[in-house]
Amino acid sequence: MNKLISDIRELLKKALDNKVIDALLLPVKVPAGDSYSWVILKDDKLLEKASPIPPVISVQGARAISSLTRRGKLDFKIATFMRPCEARATIELAKLAQADLDDVVLITFDCPGAIELKKYTEKPEEVEKEFSELMGNWESDVIRTICKMCDKFTCVDDGFATDLHIGLIGLNGKMAFIPRTEKGKKFLSGLGLKSEENLNDWEKKSRELIEKKRNKRKELQNKLKPQVVGLDALSKTFAKCINCRICRSVCPICYCRQCYFDSEKLKFTPDDYLIRAEKSGGIKFLPDTLLFHLGRMTHMALSCVSCGTCEDACPMDIKVAQIFSIVGDNVQKLFEYVPGRKLDEPLPLTVYKEEEFKELEV
Amino acid sequence: MGKLLEFKRPVEEGLKELLKTLLEGGKLKAVFTLTKKDDAVFYTLIKDAKKLEETTPLLPLMPVNAGKLLSRLTLKESLEEPIAVVIRPCELHAFVELIKREQGSLENFLFISMTCGGVLPIDNIAKNELDTKLNKYFESIKNVKVPDEVRPACKMCQNFLPYNADMVVDFWDKDINKTCRIFVNDTGEKYLNGLGFELKNTNQGLDYEEEKFKNLLALKKENEKKILESYKIEEWGMDGLVKIFGKCVGCHSCSRVCPICYCNLCEFDSDQYEYAPSTYSTELEKRGGVRVPPNTILFHLGRLTHVSISCVGCGMCEDVCPVDIPVSIIFSGISKEVQGLFNYTPGKDIKEDLPLSTFKEEELNEFEE
Repeated sequence: MNKLISDIRELLKKALDNKVIDALLLPVKVPAGDSYSWVILKDDKLLEKASPIPPVISVQGARAISSLTRRGKLDFKIATFMRPCEARATIELAKLAQADLDDVVLITFDCPGAIELKKYTEKPEEVEKEFSELMGNWESDVIRTICKMCDKFTCVDDGFATDLHIGLIGLNGKMAFIPRTEKGKKFLSGLGLKSEENLNDWEKKSRELIEKKRNKRKELQNKLKPQVVGLDALSKTFAKCINCRICRSVCPICYCRQCYFDSEKLKFTPDDYLIRAEKSGGIKFLPDTLLFHLGRMTHMALSCVSCGTCEDACPMDIKVAQIFSIVGDNVQKLFEYVPGRKLDEPLPLTVYKEEEFKELEV
Repeated sequence: MGKLLEFKRPVEEGLKELLKTLLEGGKLKAVFTLTKKDDAVFYTLIKDAKKLEETTPLLPLMPVNAGKLLSRLTLKESLEEPIAVVIRPCELHAFVELIKREQGSLENFLFISMTCGGVLPIDNIAKNELDTKLNKYFESIKNVKVPDEVRPACKMCQNFLPYNADMVVDFWDKDINKTCRIFVNDTGEKYLNGLGFELKNTNQGLDYEEEKFKNLLALKKENEKKILESYKIEEWGMDGLVKIFGKCVGCHSCSRVCPICYCNLCEFDSDQYEYAPSTYSTELEKRGGVRVPPNTILFHLGRLTHVSISCVGCGMCEDVCPVDIPVSIIFSGISKEVQGLFNYTPGKDIKEDLPLSTFKEEELNEFEE
């Protein structure tokens, strides 16, 4: 892994030096060495501290791109290096008008998964070591559960939109450059590099792995179902939620400045609360924990990329990401929609199709 | 505080009996208290006296600072009929601070609090060793020692006796399985009238002059000194701040769970603090690199400026931080200095104005010098 990271860093340095781009958006190790933060940089010294493939997702990359571009186009060209789930969320945010990708070269890579943020915070050095030994092992046990069940870690068969993908699977430490857009091709030729022509090994191995992970996903989702199917089970699962809303605030898709579920609409008089308490003898206070989670689900499930940032952050260890993955998969299937697949594919809820109307009537 | 109500039975049973009698006796419209069910702990609003059996009013866990919840309960209107709430001193103090910010109403509350031993970090709720930890916790209470198991903020808390409570459960130096002792003031006594409770006079005080509380206070001060010395906040400067807050992921959960941070939209989540592309461009030219999203340190310093005068040191912020930044230690350490400057104790006196909302001419002189 370390060799790979320094090779990528070398490439990115060249991109800066040759003025292929003006700046880079990359995870950089923070001064205390105990985490990574996204940094937009053009300074070589900062680039040395950057890690294009960090062991954790501290901040979801889509949030970083959105912070850079949600108020309009940048007046300089950048390239960024992201995990597939971060790139996919970025595409979704662009569709939601929360990011502008015109001047951004989105580079992705075959993702080995990420390690739990809490684990990293406790023992950064150990986790760094664990992660550095990960490359080449695409079915590792040390990664987060949501990563173990991820079937979109490589972009074989146009799995998701990216400008340039770097294939690693089945290539014995070699990188395969796979441009997917004109922007990607231009970036690559600016570096004097050619796109990989023989992708047979990568494709074969990738498809095998996807199949395995897809099965794993189904298996883990089935295991979780008893805890989430039906209102009683769901209430019990979310009973320990303390309403801190961290799942929402770290979610790349939940972009609203002010969440509906924290708005005046859901603030009531004492009588309203007492009437509800009267009905069942007593209520959890604040009530409506489940309403929040179900509501959030309704708002973002179609675009949920299963990045796991919510679950990583939850102080009560609720399996938020895994639960949301079940709903996300089902809703996305219903609309034949894959979040992050294509930038010009509209969000299903923003288009009207007459035949859908008929389905409802039947 | 006036009088003492004493039962020879486990403390929590005694308190629940009292609540039940008050509710069934028509003195209360409802009871607000903590409940533990399986691996979930949450506050409950109870109307049916039978439901009180499921509650755990004295369980040393704080899923939410209840001050925040009472504010939500009375934000739109004040209570028309009485509700008893069982909450910890820092929760009651936070509620009083919120009232001063017009975020609720004190009317018709019967405040029941306790001489607090602190709470365990919330991640203990789901852990198997909770019972063992609770046994150790109450053993320390009996021996008037600060329990090792509590939040760092609780270890150094010097406001563990409640201000403004009508009834106070005291369990220090007693066996919680044998005695239930509840101190009652005049308001509390009115609620008990006609219910057949026998109130005794007592010599024990409920302040820091009382021997056992004096000793505890000394232990807490020692803890505070040790903890703060290990951080040396005053020597940090910008480099120190960057080191401590560098790993912050910007989730702003510390603010979301803080009872004093009541704003609907935090200033630091507003568009005022977003960089326009041109700002990024200028900053990038100037510095060679810019953290994205920006303003991590500014957020924490800003929040500190906004809440430090009223920070009750409850430790919620630190409990929810996903990257274990010692937020509560930093905030209570600095808040104590700020509060000392204005000779202000949050939650102590509802009639005392917030220092920053009052103008005193002589304060201006201090600056001129």
